[in-house]
Amino acid sequence: MNDRETEQGLRGQAKALLEEGKVNYIIGYEPGSLKFTTTPLITKDKDSVDRLVISPFIVNNLSEYLTELKGRIGIVAKGCDSRSIVSLIQDNQVKREDVVILGVPCSGIIDLSKVEGLVGKDRDEIDDIVWEDSKVTITVAGDRKEFHIGEVLFDNCLGCEFSIPQEYDILLGESSSLVVDKATSREKIETLEAMSQEQRWNFWEKEFSRCIRCYACRNVCPACFCERCFVEESEPQWMAPVPRWQDNLMFQVIRNIHVAGRCTDCGECERACPMNIPLRSLTKEMCDIVDDLYHFKAGMDKEAAPLMTHYETTDPEDFIK
Amino acid sequence: MWQRTLGVAITTPSILELKALFNLLSSYHNMPDFGGGQVTPESEWEPKLLGFLCRWCSYAGADLAGTSRKKYPANIRIIKVPCSGRVDPLFILKALRLGFDGVLVSGCYPGDCHYQTGNYRARRRMAITKKFLEYVGIDPQRIQASWVSASEGGKFTEVVTEVTEGLKKIGPNKLFADER
Repeated sequence: MNDRETEQGLRGQAKALLEEGKVNYIIGYEPGSLKFTTTPLITKDKDSVDRLVISPFIVNNLSEYLTELKGRIGIVAKGCDSRSIVSLIQDNQVKREDVVILGVPCSGIIDLSKVEGLVGKDRDEIDDIVWEDSKVTITVAGDRKEFHIGEVLFDNCLGCEFSIPQEYDILLGESSSLVVDKATSREKIETLEAMSQEQRWNFWEKEFSRCIRCYACRNVCPACFCERCFVEESEPQWMAPVPRWQDNLMFQVIRNIHVAGRCTDCGECERACPMNIPLRSLTKEMCDIVDDLYHFKAGMDKEAAPLMTHYETTDPEDFIK
Repeated sequence: MWQRTLGVAITTPSILELKALFNLLSSYHNMPDFGGGQVTPESEWEPKLLGFLCRWCSYAGADLAGTSRKKYPANIRIIKVPCSGRVDPLFILKALRLGFDGVLVSGCYPGDCHYQTGNYRARRRMAITKKFLEYVGIDPQRIQASWVSASEGGKFTEVVTEVTEGLKKIGPNKLFADER
């Protein structure tokens, strides 16, 4: 994909939208303060749209901000983000006519921690990362190293089937091929599935012993839009506020059940986690369960009824006595 | 609050409010006749099963089992809910967290729901909850669902017996204990 052209196109479109008064805000990405990173840009100012960027590092799912802003919004969306937007439309959280979706075809996002792991250097010490076709060239201190792109993309990107956004008003750039590596994408889950029940429970006990219940996973999740979360209920108090592993695990399990049929496997929860808990191993499994039982993928069709408010008389019930 | 029918306690709580439900969950667990609050020797251990029964079908079915003098294990404690669709997966997790060995959610047969669609929604919710909890590492036998109509006192005794026997096999719920 040619990011420069897409970027120019995006800036032009965003400026026009603001000038014509079609939107009140533009939500996109601008360069972050750390090397290679990008950070969300939310702006009303037509001059600041020149800061908008498109790169293989536009990691965040911006649809999270849709429920927080009032007015008409122009939003930059990759494939997975557009599914989150559709999901919000299904749930009546966002009106379709209030969003102008600036769709960006995406071939995957580069995971900087994977890059760091491959070259054994901190991201500050890496000079350049260039992605061409199926190769990524990483330059460290004048030394160029080539890797297959599949080695540095996020796990969820490797399992992604949608390069083109599901829903868009303006499509920027051309569709690009996806690097699909379903095995790597599900690797962690399969390791867990091979374990015994007890081992799995012990695994999660260990992981959630680290959890500090900062709720970053919840706050960053576009599917978690409740104004009041069950963890904050005081009558009854479902969970002790002290982050003990039992309650941490219970929180995450319930959170996953709540977002079933809404979670698009965008991977934001795992990236937001300061304790590096492999949350995607839970969310992805829930996506698979939902797909397996009800042939439902979140955020595919804005007219479709949300999974959990809907039913079919023929739904499987072999587990019911 | 407690009525004794053939040695099996059935409650008639008004639990429309969550707080009441929560208190019930905690108080059930602390009931002395339920082994709560005291350490039971392993040999005397009996499973503790919590049943969420729909007010229209399954609760009436349980009542019928009692009035028909049918015997079923006294391991079940029952919470009456307006509909099986009222059962939040959170209730199930909370019950397991409080130390219940198993949870049974029972409602009207599909098509019989007093509120037309409640049990269909419960069915979806239970299906994903059961599968997901199995993946996390909870034995699926601890989370059970059944359809019991108001005329099926016999089926109610069968279900409770079967679930209780299953729980006896898999042993006490030590999932949330620090030392397992």
